[in-house]
Amino acid sequence: MAERTLHGTGATPRSGVGTVVWYGRDISLPDPDDVEVDPETERRRFADAVDTARAELESEREATAERVGEDEAAVFDAHIQFLEDPTIEDAVETMIADGGPAPNAVDAAFGEHIEQFEGMDGRMAERADDLRDVRDRLLRLLTDGERVGLGDLPAGSVVLAERLTPSDTAQLDPERVAGFATVTGGRTSHAAIFARSLALPAVVGIGTDLDTLEDGAEVVVDGDNGTLLVSPDDSERAAAANESGAAVVNDSVKTTDGRHVEVAANIGQPAELEPAAKRGADGVGLYRTEFLFLDRETPPSEDEQYEAIRQALDTFPDGRVVVRTLDIGGDKRIPYLDLPDEENPFLGERGIRRSLAPDSDLFATQLRALLRAAADGAGDLAIMFPLVATIEELDAALDALEAAAGLDDYDADAVDPEVGVMIETPSAAFMADELAARVDFLSIGTNDLTQYVMAADRENERVGDLHDPTHPGVLRAIQQTVTAAHAEDIWVGMCGEMAGDPDLTELLVGLGLDELSMSAVTIPEVKTAVSETSYSSASERGDRAQLAATRSEVHTTLDT
Amino acid sequence: MTVERTVTIVPEAGLHARPASAFVQAVNDHEAEVSAGRPDDDLVQAASMIAITSLGVGQGDDIKLVADGSDAESVLDELERILTTPEAELDTDDG
Repeated sequence: MAERTLHGTGATPRSGVGTVVWYGRDISLPDPDDVEVDPETERRRFADAVDTARAELESEREATAERVGEDEAAVFDAHIQFLEDPTIEDAVETMIADGGPAPNAVDAAFGEHIEQFEGMDGRMAERADDLRDVRDRLLRLLTDGERVGLGDLPAGSVVLAERLTPSDTAQLDPERVAGFATVTGGRTSHAAIFARSLALPAVVGIGTDLDTLEDGAEVVVDGDNGTLLVSPDDSERAAAANESGAAVVNDSVKTTDGRHVEVAANIGQPAELEPAAKRGADGVGLYRTEFLFLDRETPPSEDEQYEAIRQALDTFPDGRVVVRTLDIGGDKRIPYLDLPDEENPFLGERGIRRSLAPDSDLFATQLRALLRAAADGAGDLAIMFPLVATIEELDAALDALEAAAGLDDYDADAVDPEVGVMIETPSAAFMADELAARVDFLSIGTNDLTQYVMAADRENERVGDLHDPTHPGVLRAIQQTVTAAHAEDIWVGMCGEMAGDPDLTELLVGLGLDELSMSAVTIPEVKTAVSETSYSSASERGDRAQLAATRSEVHTTLDT
Repeated sequence: MTVERTVTIVPEAGLHARPASAFVQAVNDHEAEVSAGRPDDDLVQAASMIAITSLGVGQGDDIKLVADGSDAESVLDELERILTTPEAELDTDDG
């Protein structure tokens, strides 16, 4: 028996065994003699880190004010003021001008005042803790990627972290990592979605108990049960190591009564393409283009975007690649784009709203890159617009696409990509018939659709019970969307986490979905489930499920 | 326009924690350059939380404020209000 068991949320139905490596706990500074330093770059890095730190502090302040109270939130005001303190700023500027790397300058500038406050008594000494906190926050941002690299871990590592951001996971080498576990996060957090796409064992949201584990400890990451077994015994270790999922099915699949259902992969970065193809994906049902914009100082050029999309099309020469245009805003922040802070970012200028903003030329660049890639790449491109709420938005997006297609730097006759809308807002579900009349396909994004239909924050574990797509309210929105699409003879897919749950495959096939797109890990299970499903009986089950009044009635329908 | 004022500090915590935070915020919300310090010492940048906190001025101490700029009078009025309001009654702008 394991020495003890820590509980969290299983992100992937997989287990793995390995050795603990903490990520982001100790901050190591670059050796100033070893690195080439360009003061202009360092100044910029410092300014970006301050911007990001301010945004983090403001959102933590908000959250604390809401959950705990204004008095407790006030400490964040002080942190923001320390962050923006001209004394610190001047000292950092001076050290950078003298050729110091930004992290070292920050460390030294704060260090002086931390010592000064520590030497004073009583309440003054508390300020030293505040300064340390702000310093560490900045150093974490500044040394990202420079600390012991996530791409360079010993084989068999289990990565532990407070949380993993998209830029963190982009560096993880799935061949060398046995799994990971995080203090924060739920099933639809970035880290969890990433784990599923690579079939990496992962448990998220363990809480501060995780902090008690030290580097070098042996653990089993049990993504099925959402547990971490510390110091497993031989049988637990063997059970974790021997686990394997369903066999990979490379051919496209049909139900027992001959209805074809496309099973595709959700892709967040190029490293996920090959693993998805190996797990039998028919194509890509959701290509998130945000990754191209992360971890850099300026937006990617048209050529860079072209190359990335081309790579996806060439990975699936006989398949379809649905590319979602840029969906920033919400919880996805990109410092150099300098977007305004919003009180309520999930209800703010995200998705197509941002792409259509008059001050943005990112959309035109992206559309040109997509069209060029479609002309040259092997597979079929489909373009999908995120977070559409109105017909006006769709019309404006279609106009932008037409304008991009009017440019003569590619052969317009050779390419006629399908164009579709992602159904994520209640408005889009209600208006699905009008939308369907104007496009080639619809794809239901159940993570956001559930969040907006149920008014339940997908990152807030306290309303996690509401954030469940099997509530009848969500099922009816799905059913309405499918009916609207089929009335216009267009295909309709689903690209939320719900699509990748093999226990729900029969229901989704029964509701009439033509395509299911998911994190690559469950593709073999879902393909197997489709080929074991009879469409006619699934369809009856789907009818009963969407007539159910409660979630438990829905689940009863599924079980009988 | 340069104006100068000396104020006796009322909040129990002195120029520290919330009052200090409100103080620095008020300085940043105005155009005028403000410096502050004990009446006989060198003055420090009032926009710096670190500098202001390091003054270590407590309840009953005098603090000298010098403001230079178009809204010098109004920033000193606001700072005086903060320095003479007991902490419990102090409201932040966005509270």
